[in-house]
Amino acid sequence: MSTLEKDYVCPVGEGIYAANTGDWRTQRPEIDQEKCSRCGTCLLYCPTNSVRRVEGRFVIDLGYCKGCAVCAAECPKQCIAMIREGRK
Amino acid sequence: MSTVAVMNGNYAAATAARLARPEVIAAYPITPQTPVVEYLTLFAAEGSLSSRMTEVESEHSAMSILSGASLAGARCYTATSSQGLALMYEPYFRASTLRLPIVMNIVNREMISPQSVWGGPQDSLTLRDAGWIQIYVEDNQEILDQTIQAFRIAEDPRVLLPINVCYDGFYLSHMTERVEVPEQAEIDAFLPPYEAKHQILDPRKPMAIDPLTSGYLVMEYRKKHMDSMAAALGVVEETDKAYAALTGRSWGGALDLYRMEDAEYAVVTLGSVTGACREMVDEKRAAGVRIGLVKVRCLRPFPKAAVAAALARVKGFGVIDRNVSFGWNTGIVYQEVRSALYESGRTLPSVPFVGGLGGEDITLGLVSKAFDEIVAAVDAGRTPQSAVWLWAPRKGVKA
Amino acid sequence: MSALDLLAEREDMISPGISACVGCNVELTLRTVMKVLGPNSILAIPPGCMGGVGVVGWNKQSGAKVPVFFPLLDNTASMLAGIRLALDAKGRDAHVVAFAGDGATVDAGFQALSGVAERGDRIIYICYDNEGYMNTGYQRSSSTSKGSWTSTTPVSKEGQGGKRQHGKDFPMIMAMHDVPYVATASPAYIPDLVRKVEEAMKVKEGLAYIHVYNPCLTGWGIRAEESISVARLAVKTRFFPLYEARNRKFKITVPVPNPLPLEDYTSRIKKFSHLGPERIAELKDLAEERYRFLEAVSAGGGGRA
Ligand code: SF4
Ligand code: SF4
Repeated sequence: MSTLEKDYVCPVGEGIYAANTGDWRTQRPEIDQEKCSRCGTCLLYCPTNSVRRVEGRFVIDLGYCKGCAVCAAECPKQCIAMIREGRK
Repeated sequence: MSTVAVMNGNYAAATAARLARPEVIAAYPITPQTPVVEYLTLFAAEGSLSSRMTEVESEHSAMSILSGASLAGARCYTATSSQGLALMYEPYFRASTLRLPIVMNIVNREMISPQSVWGGPQDSLTLRDAGWIQIYVEDNQEILDQTIQAFRIAEDPRVLLPINVCYDGFYLSHMTERVEVPEQAEIDAFLPPYEAKHQILDPRKPMAIDPLTSGYLVMEYRKKHMDSMAAALGVVEETDKAYAALTGRSWGGALDLYRMEDAEYAVVTLGSVTGACREMVDEKRAAGVRIGLVKVRCLRPFPKAAVAAALARVKGFGVIDRNVSFGWNTGIVYQEVRSALYESGRTLPSVPFVGGLGGEDITLGLVSKAFDEIVAAVDAGRTPQSAVWLWAPRKGVKA
Repeated sequence: MSALDLLAEREDMISPGISACVGCNVELTLRTVMKVLGPNSILAIPPGCMGGVGVVGWNKQSGAKVPVFFPLLDNTASMLAGIRLALDAKGRDAHVVAFAGDGATVDAGFQALSGVAERGDRIIYICYDNEGYMNTGYQRSSSTSKGSWTSTTPVSKEGQGGKRQHGKDFPMIMAMHDVPYVATASPAYIPDLVRKVEEAMKVKEGLAYIHVYNPCLTGWGIRAEESISVARLAVKTRFFPLYEARNRKFKITVPVPNPLPLEDYTSRIKKFSHLGPERIAELKDLAEERYRFLEAVSAGGGGRA
């Protein structure tokens, strides 16, 4: 049974509610892996926890990325480009 | 096997709390509740109190600490009075809507202003619609018995609501009486440990408590709360019976009737004024007046059917309120009783008395006058449109 | 474990989709803090931005993977103290944590927090200070900087107005409670923040308090991508120094020997845009005074070496 159908005595929530914040994005980050120094700054400062470290490389999971460009602004190598999203 | 002791009302409350083994106690001293806090800290110092006890910086924090502790599954106890209750209002209301079975004695004290530290249930009665169960008692034995029962009622899965056991400041809190104290083992059997099943803050079972909630769900939770309130009436009766089986003492559940079987007139009371009224019933009966007494124990949930049934055969009644309902120009209990009667389709002559505010004594003389007024008004088919003030003439005071 | 390793490997304890503004550094702070604290935590989110964006969840669902709840605006610390007592009574342990805005901390929640500090209740209290009631449209709080535009300290067309008083030096007030651990932190210094949360976790008796300075993009008027760089400038101009204090033993953790001009910071923020040089100088004087005080009370001159 989904928690939404559960019958609680009092206001309780179970299971995770996630807003589809990936939908908000007007621009998306793209890492130039050639230039990337693997410092991980983007991972440290991404507000939405959208940067992953995969076998030493840093990649962006766009699922909930809001396109804030913090990663691009903070990247010491300036190797993250912000690309305008096409109309959805 | 119980032991017999002489104790004041506050000691009876503290003793009941100790017997109930709350896991967490948080309290802030305020007249006339202060000795409850002192007794509990003394019990803790002696090592006879198993609870985690914390002395807080305000009543707001007392109720907040208990709310947190209850959410984490602990049995909780506190006590307060008057301004302390008023300061607590925000977490007080929320403790009921979060369905936290906290037990709190309210040592009734008048609300200021005027500046007054003496008795009167205006404090808790004003908060009657904040979702708590409220039970009012008459003497020190009843304080002890009902406070113990309160834990079982509050934690009953059909109820899961916080509960106040209210008793008059000074008249009960500071007056000593003979009290029978049950054995710890008896109470342990009567009151198994609390286990929070409806909600819990526990990393082993992560859940959110009180997420943002849309209107239709708010209505759903309110309705459940009201249903549980209604169910509590039955649980109060059941618990009274179970306790009577254990100790031989029944307090009548939601309502306690005295000589009502053949009564033509009734007086309705709440709290310690009941004692004087019971005496006066005997006196008037001896003089040939068929009057009986209805003591309201449970104010929330209000036992409306029982009240209507109790008054089904009287010709009329009076209510002695030691509080006021501003805007109605009567006391609060009077309005409650009248509403209960509305459903029974009977319109009875009735007298709304107000007296005993700020700890003023309601003497036997005043009670006698009130009873005479009930008989006179009822016989004349008259219902005063505003409160009949019960007070003795004083210099400079218009009676 | 380095901060990067920790943050790369640990599970995010917060819902992946919360409705914080694009670029919000409070969202970053919360996710970071909760990764460090881990699953054996109970989290209090009083009314404020993080409650509003869904961290406590919505209807019958949660916004976090740890137990999370709304305390009232003014009783966060007390509710947590109660949870600690209940855990103690049951012989269990967990991190009992507040993540509260400045309104719930510096204003309405101060009494409860001060009480907890004095009694020595063992909780971790993290304040995200964005200088006001942002969730309701940015009204002033007692943490708001002097001169700031807010919706309740408006500014005339001629540039007159703004808040008339300096903000409370709140972390210092908490440090003076003589508690085991007080720290300031910034979302622009994540490794420093991670270490401070780890320090807070080590406290076994009493309060650990961390005051994080979070410039608010929407309320203050800051571009989203500058979310972190503006927060960093607050530190580099000495406007918000990073330090820690253990029972009143102070240590500056990020010394700023050569501060940048305060204008480098204020010029990036719209809420200060009406302030002329004199009013900026007033802010600068206060910042310098507070920094000097901090150096004076810090061991060995605040680690200036
Ligand atoms: S654009 Fe913003 S949300 Fe997306 S990965 Fe970069 S920092 Fe994270
Ligand atoms: S911040 Fe830039 S250089 Fe560093 S890991 Fe991320 S993309 Fe690579």
